[in-house]
Amino acid sequence: MSEYVRDAFIVLFSLTGLFFFVGGTVGLLRCPDLYARLHPSTKCDTLGACSVILALCLQAGASFVTLKLLAIAFFLLLSCATCGHAIGRSAFRSGVVPWHKPGVKPWPIEEDE
Amino acid sequence: MGTLTRDKFGGVAVRSRTLAKTIREIIPLALLLFVLWLIFTAKTNWHHLLLGAIVSVLFSWFSYYLLRGRLDPHLKAGVALRFPLFAVLLFWEIIKANWDVLKRVLAPSLPISPRIIDFESYLESDIAKTVLANSITLTPGTVTVDIQGQRFFIHCLSEDQVEDPGEGRLQRMTAWLLKEGPPEMRRLK
Repeated sequence: MSEYVRDAFIVLFSLTGLFFFVGGTVGLLRCPDLYARLHPSTKCDTLGACSVILALCLQAGASFVTLKLLAIAFFLLLSCATCGHAIGRSAFRSGVVPWHKPGVKPWPIEEDE
Repeated sequence: MGTLTRDKFGGVAVRSRTLAKTIREIIPLALLLFVLWLIFTAKTNWHHLLLGAIVSVLFSWFSYYLLRGRLDPHLKAGVALRFPLFAVLLFWEIIKANWDVLKRVLAPSLPISPRIIDFESYLESDIAKTVLANSITLTPGTVTVDIQGQRFFIHCLSEDQVEDPGEGRLQRMTAWLLKEGPPEMRRLK
């Protein structure tokens, strides 16, 4: 019985991860510019990958494989945030103006600054 | 083994004290390396454990000479104790914001209004600013694009994510984790 419950949770977490991956990909295609595309591509993938890793942890049970998977999740979160920040920062420093709606101030920098 | 300055009693006491200090300072790194060794080798034979212990002590000893003085003094044992709760709270923030971003990019009208905003942080040390910037970047809808001094530049997908107290909460969580900033901000609500 508990086997079935565990399998159900594995399928549930895998499907959740899949859903977030699909959402992230759709967001990547729909967003208007580089900055906006950073959000769905680095974030939805993060939660999607974490969900899949959680499913794999359940599959592996209490073993060293689970610890390795958790280490992978940790480094994934760290590197996702860092590379998203690196891309955003290089665009910001080279003066890429974010896409914005009319009448919205795109950034807090004065033009004469 | 540290300083070459000797006191007027001849330096032996100084030498042993700094040796003890060296040993005390490499223990956390050695323990961390040993735990990582355990996880990645996944073997519990005594000779694997012994090899792991030797390697982690040797490497932390070597890197002590390279990194001494550059290790951040804010990283204390209390941080490691508070980190699990911090990770859980951060993960909850990530899930909430992730759902919000997903709703926005899947909605047919694409209700986003991106812009870069800035705010002044009260966190001062590099490690605290790094933790806060990474937490903001991990939370969907907001990416830290630059830090100049205390000033954070955040790209956000819409303005109501700015008014959202999330940024303040993340900063508060960081202040609590590293015990920095104004004392009334170091508590979790």
